[in-house]
Amino acid sequence: MKLRILLADDHEIVRRGLCSLLQKREGWEVCGEASDGREAVDMAKQLKPDVVIVDIGMPYLNGLDTTRQLLQLDPNFKVIVLTITDSDQVIREALDAGARGFVLKSDAARDLVAAVEALQSKRMFFTPRVNDLVLAGFLEKGHAISRNEPPDLPTLTAREREVTQLLAEGKSSKEVAVLLNLSTKTVETHRSNIMRKLSLHSIRDLVVYAIKNNIIQIQMPPQLRPSETTVV
Amino acid sequence: MAVRILLVDDHPIVRQGLRTLLEGRPGWEVVGEASDGIEALDKVEDLQPDVVVLDVTMPRMNGLEACRLIQQKRKTSLEVLFVTQHDSPQMMREALDAGARGYVVKSNAARDLLEAVEAVSQHRVFTALARSPHVLSSDS
Repeated sequence: MKLRILLADDHEIVRRGLCSLLQKREGWEVCGEASDGREAVDMAKQLKPDVVIVDIGMPYLNGLDTTRQLLQLDPNFKVIVLTITDSDQVIREALDAGARGFVLKSDAARDLVAAVEALQSKRMFFTPRVNDLVLAGFLEKGHAISRNEPPDLPTLTAREREVTQLLAEGKSSKEVAVLLNLSTKTVETHRSNIMRKLSLHSIRDLVVYAIKNNIIQIQMPPQLRPSETTVV
Repeated sequence: MAVRILLVDDHPIVRQGLRTLLEGRPGWEVVGEASDGIEALDKVEDLQPDVVVLDVTMPRMNGLEACRLIQQKRKTSLEVLFVTQHDSPQMMREALDAGARGYVVKSNAARDLLEAVEAVSQHRVFTALARSPHVLSSDS
């Protein structure tokens, strides 16, 4: 029986590269492709893949929240997170969300096949840096990084995180309501709760919070020439 | 028409995706790959491609700087097409000022890339940002 893999990345070009890599392996099949986290969750419900590969930075529902939702749906889902950054915070959040694999996009061509093989054999796969972090946490605290460690920041509910991402992506409350199948009033209520919990005062603050907490990701462009620099 | 293409992106998986798309066109050949701007300069010198498909954000030397140097040093009429995450009119202007003939955004690369390579290989400008559906394609 073939190993069935669901891919979730908002860039079709990346999905093509991943497909090309994975489908060279005999016995592996890419059973579906999703271009955002919400689509990934819907497709996973229908297709019941063996492994789900999720990009961290996707619109509508980012990879970490996608991972959480997948595992709430079915704890047996095996998820590999693909990311452009291996910062401590991202690593902790990926582990916390329940990912069993963590691969840097820049190393995907080298590591992804090994990651899928590991998950197929019911093992986990992380980049060496993640292993170092896990070990450091173990030695410092006398226990493995725990999913139950209290968060440093006020906790948003899963729905509040979804609303945060969509608002930070520039959607209006009405647009968020349509996407999440809620009333605009409900979205406004979530928005007020989010702003209050996080002590934020503007959408700009919300965007900054979302970036700092990997709810949305941005890639900084190279410095433009001085004459072209725009001061915001 | 035969087109020889050099791919420059720091992510091998992106280069693989671009290659899969481009090599579907008869007569088009990916003659080489580079993972940063410095390697791109060497490969341009060795391989003399017709089109360089170039990312912006890369280690060691970014795509804008590489494009400027490619244009300074080139011996044949090669063209540069940027394929980038940066969906920004300002970045696009910077890319065209650096000497690029084309600019497409990675999120729409699967849709725009083939048309873009076709255009720039014929020395026509091709630009398409994701935020604006307007595609600019014109003779220079």
